[in-house]
Amino acid sequence: MKISIGVLIVILIILIISLGSVAAWFAKIQLYNSARPISSFVFLIFLMLAGYLSINHVREGGEIRVREIPAFSAIEEGVTRSVEMGRPIHMTIGFGSIAGSMAPQYIAGLGVLSHVARLAGKYGARLIATLGVPEVIASVEEIVKEGYASGGRPELFDPVYNVRYLTDQQFAYASAVQAIIVRERVGANIVVGPFYAESLIFMEAGNMVGAFQVAGTARETQIPFFVLAADYAFIGEEIFAAGAMASGDKESLASIQGQDVGKLATIILIVLGILFLAFGINISSWLNWVWKLG
Amino acid sequence: MSLTIRRFIPQTIVSIILIIMIIFYYFYINKSVSDAFTTWDKALSDWAVIITSFTLIIGGIDLLRYHLVQIKKIGVKQLPFSGTTIALEIIMVIFALIGLYYSYVYPKLGITITTQPQFTWLFTYLYAPTDSAVYSILLFYIASASYRAFIARNPMATLLLITAIVIMLGNTSLGNLIWPGFLPLRDWIMTVPNTAAFRPITMGVGFGTIILGLRLIMWREVSWLGRRE
Repeated sequence: MKISIGVLIVILIILIISLGSVAAWFAKIQLYNSARPISSFVFLIFLMLAGYLSINHVREGGEIRVREIPAFSAIEEGVTRSVEMGRPIHMTIGFGSIAGSMAPQYIAGLGVLSHVARLAGKYGARLIATLGVPEVIASVEEIVKEGYASGGRPELFDPVYNVRYLTDQQFAYASAVQAIIVRERVGANIVVGPFYAESLIFMEAGNMVGAFQVAGTARETQIPFFVLAADYAFIGEEIFAAGAMASGDKESLASIQGQDVGKLATIILIVLGILFLAFGINISSWLNWVWKLG
Repeated sequence: MSLTIRRFIPQTIVSIILIIMIIFYYFYINKSVSDAFTTWDKALSDWAVIITSFTLIIGGIDLLRYHLVQIKKIGVKQLPFSGTTIALEIIMVIFALIGLYYSYVYPKLGITITTQPQFTWLFTYLYAPTDSAVYSILLFYIASASYRAFIARNPMATLLLITAIVIMLGNTSLGNLIWPGFLPLRDWIMTVPNTAAFRPITMGVGFGTIILGLRLIMWREVSWLGRRE
């Protein structure tokens, strides 16, 4: 049986971590941070290795099947609909600062923006990318410019029209976006990123002008608004998967399987936890175990 | 720009920082090493604040450029809209200059950009009320979105409608008057089915973030850099 280099690397990492931990335990060395449960580190490594193995499988010529996300497929429908109606497309990734815990969601939003820009270039649509994150102005300009170029219509790119920085203040940003949606009568309203109370303002403004709406966020409190008001919604981690899908890169796409493996492992843990609890064994106390000497 | 500057350097920085953060989060680091890294961490955070401030200037210029182009394109009709923004940008620069003047020439007065009385007045009596007014629009939007969502088209929508009625009645004193059971029923819905639905989403977001981190470490996530290979 032929073992690939990727699998060997994974085996080597697991061996180093486990043998190192056992040796440190017997040598009485405080290897891990005593404030964090070891199980969370094990889970992180497990997920990363699962993602890596999926990427490696594709890299070695293997095929991988990734579930379809309806909201992602709907983006193209929104773009073509806008072109037919002669209306522009609006896309936003949110407001605030990228230097924080919401950074992954901004990155996912940028991934979706690159996909929208490419489709806008392909179908000759007018795209308005509004943003309230000053750190990404240059990136967004570059993404939209490149999108039009790779879509075959670089001449359609107009930085003043296509990319509009508004403000990083929440409701000033919300009212400006709302005004643009209504004034420009957008045909499609695509909203992907971290959103707060302004999420419903965007959705209702889009609804007022009859726009086709695709929205997504990983902020749990705003997901219900998007599910209710948008035509298609990315729920939770789907926005990260959408970022990978937008890249069109098979290896990135394969990494999504790592997410699904994580979900499967969690379901197994939950079922095991319930079964063990029926026998009076509480496995959550094992999962909370921390490395503490003495 | 060469590929090294556009791709290699940013991706290397991101990968190294992600790996260092994982190590610092999970592994025990002795105090002297930890102190040294805390100093670096603080320096990096300071750089981030400075970079953000400079990007705000770029944002201001971007906004100014947009409105100047609009005035040039549309003419006098655009002036009430774009003129206001341009005037506000000029006021912002004037306030910044006055604040800088006072803080450097008369430091004993303790007046900075944000503590000037005129600035405080503008913030308290103009910005804060308009901000709250926009926030309050949300109430009407929630009402209109709920009206559309709660139409009993199918069994699932009917279930949603019933749940919404129970939650709304549980949140009002009228509900308690109609039937005292609305409050405990609301609490049960919020703590049991609602939490059960939210937790998998939270976990999924965590998995998604970890895999995004893996893609960043492996240089597979390139969308944030703008251009493809």
